[in-house]
Amino acid sequence: MPSERAPIIEFDRVSFQYAASDAYALQDISLTIDEGEYVAILGLNGAGKTTLELCINGIIPNMVMGDLEGEVRVAGVDATDTPVREMAKTVGIVFDNPEFQMSQMTVAEEVALGLENLGVPYEEMRGRIADALAMVDLVGFDERMPLALSGGQQQRLAIAAVLAMRPRILVMDEPTSNLDPIGKQEVFEIAARLNRDNGMTVVMAEHEVEVMARYADRVIVLDGGRIVANGTPREVFAQRELLERIGLRPPQATELALWLRDGGAGWTDLLPVTADDAVTALETRLAGVAR
Amino acid sequence: MQGVAVPVSMVAGNSFIHRLNPIAKLVWVLAVLVISFATRNPLFLIALSIVGLGLVTMAGIWRQFSRVMLILLPVATSLIVFQSVAPAFPQPWTPIATIGPFTIYQEGIYSGLSLLARATSMTIFALVMIMTTHPSDLFTSLSRLHVPYVLNFMLAMTLQLIPVLQREIGVVMSAQKSRGMKSTGFGAVIPSFVPVFAGAIERVQQLSISLESRAFGSSGHKTSYRQVAVRPVDWVVGIAGFAFLAVCIAVFLNTGALDMSRTLIFPPALAIVLVAAAAVLFVGFIASAIWVVIRA
Ligand SMILES: Nc1ncnc2c1ncn2[C@@H]1O[C@H](COP(=O)(O)OP(=O)(O)OP(=O)(O)O)[C@@H](O)[C@H]1O
Ligand SMILES: [Mg+2]
Repeated sequence: MPSERAPIIEFDRVSFQYAASDAYALQDISLTIDEGEYVAILGLNGAGKTTLELCINGIIPNMVMGDLEGEVRVAGVDATDTPVREMAKTVGIVFDNPEFQMSQMTVAEEVALGLENLGVPYEEMRGRIADALAMVDLVGFDERMPLALSGGQQQRLAIAAVLAMRPRILVMDEPTSNLDPIGKQEVFEIAARLNRDNGMTVVMAEHEVEVMARYADRVIVLDGGRIVANGTPREVFAQRELLERIGLRPPQATELALWLRDGGAGWTDLLPVTADDAVTALETRLAGVAR
Repeated sequence: MQGVAVPVSMVAGNSFIHRLNPIAKLVWVLAVLVISFATRNPLFLIALSIVGLGLVTMAGIWRQFSRVMLILLPVATSLIVFQSVAPAFPQPWTPIATIGPFTIYQEGIYSGLSLLARATSMTIFALVMIMTTHPSDLFTSLSRLHVPYVLNFMLAMTLQLIPVLQREIGVVMSAQKSRGMKSTGFGAVIPSFVPVFAGAIERVQQLSISLESRAFGSSGHKTSYRQVAVRPVDWVVGIAGFAFLAVCIAVFLNTGALDMSRTLIFPPALAIVLVAAAAVLFVGFIASAIWVVIRA
């Protein structure tokens, strides 16, 4: 993991309005994401998570029409003015409906597609395909038909297809919303591993607050197209009034601690955001009480 | 959900024809296409079809092949029935026999037979190619011939969408069934088209975003994952296809396209048997189609 972090995604006063709509989907967004960060984008339906992510590789405004104001710089280039197929070298994006992202006859060809477009030589391509399939635990699936895989397998394939291109940034839009709990877990593990072991920058829009509290370095909360909170999970989830106002539930561990604190249990420690945090904090307190 | 299999798709195998380069096969399919349109000589076209059936045997795809032909042939036989009584041929017509109000003409039998043989020969060669060629190999080979990538890809995508749409129709139909709507037969398929096509448009939009996000359409040098060999034998077969086409065209030009419309005489008995057999096949097919719909 790089110790000196440099900004890789910068939004400067970005607003966006879809062509078919007269309301802003994003309003005055300014944010900086450093290389190697794992950032969770939270917010209710319609908050603007997808819209924000589509700006990162230039799908907005290059493929989806509308009015964009402000500047988006990604890895040093102006993402609003670079074709998506160029941005593809830096940014890989995975959506929530994996089967809509499949187009090839076999798993190996699905992964190969991006590499063919980049002109990766055949020998190297084979190695990269094998690596990518191994990373998502799809070894031996090379000749299977993508459309005949399970939803979880398809989503992992969609990730592999992007990974093989070795992007610096992995953007995911609710990648687990169609998966069962095990499928969800696998996808989150993969993203966490890529971030931790490969230093890949991860931007993940999710509804799974608990999971994001555990993996993300930073949480950005959107509401009505605006950033209403931006900080570490601990900082963000402590803002109970704010979260309540926009209708977002904090993680259960945080809720429990807040409930203890407000119930007069005198919680003065840092608020926990994951179950493990909560257990540690409670154990310390109980040990203190027993003594 | 019903699993409607794609009737026309690759049949796995390792025959000589399976291993032949897709372009060599394509040359033959196109040659046969041109030849079939260049002549109306039924004997020649029937001979060509028989060669085609030989290829079906070589490829070992009779079972899947005959399943498709069983659907197409009865429709094609209608050509004989209609042509025999109303030839698509300049007058004068030579009557051979009369059945009730209908007169069967010599030119009609000739024309019907040649149209049928034409359709059959083209279909056989095309099916042999489709059923022995991995689509990706064909597309890889085409792009090597500098057929524009995007055009190529559109072809590939169209093939991809067929099973997807079939599956989607299945999903929508079972959804409609669960709301008490009719769930079999044509009456049920039609209303399901609207949601299916609405879904297909969304799917295509999503897919184009996903593809472009994987650098699809970028201008630089591209490589390909599927490696399609071009062996000497592929060259030989491909060039033989061109040679065959050239020879046929030369012969046609010198012989009035092997026209036998006035010389190939059908005895009345043969003509009646032919037309009757075609009529029975055709009517039988229509009746069974109606029966399937009504039963549903
Ligand atoms: N293609 C579009 N055309 C017009 N308006 C759109 C379009 N896509 C989204 N919007 C609107 O933009 C706003 C933000 O939508 P967005 O999809 O970014 O939200 P989201 O946070 O991703 O929601 P969800 O959790 O449902 O995915 C919403 O008000 C939505 O209705
Ligand atoms: Mg969304």
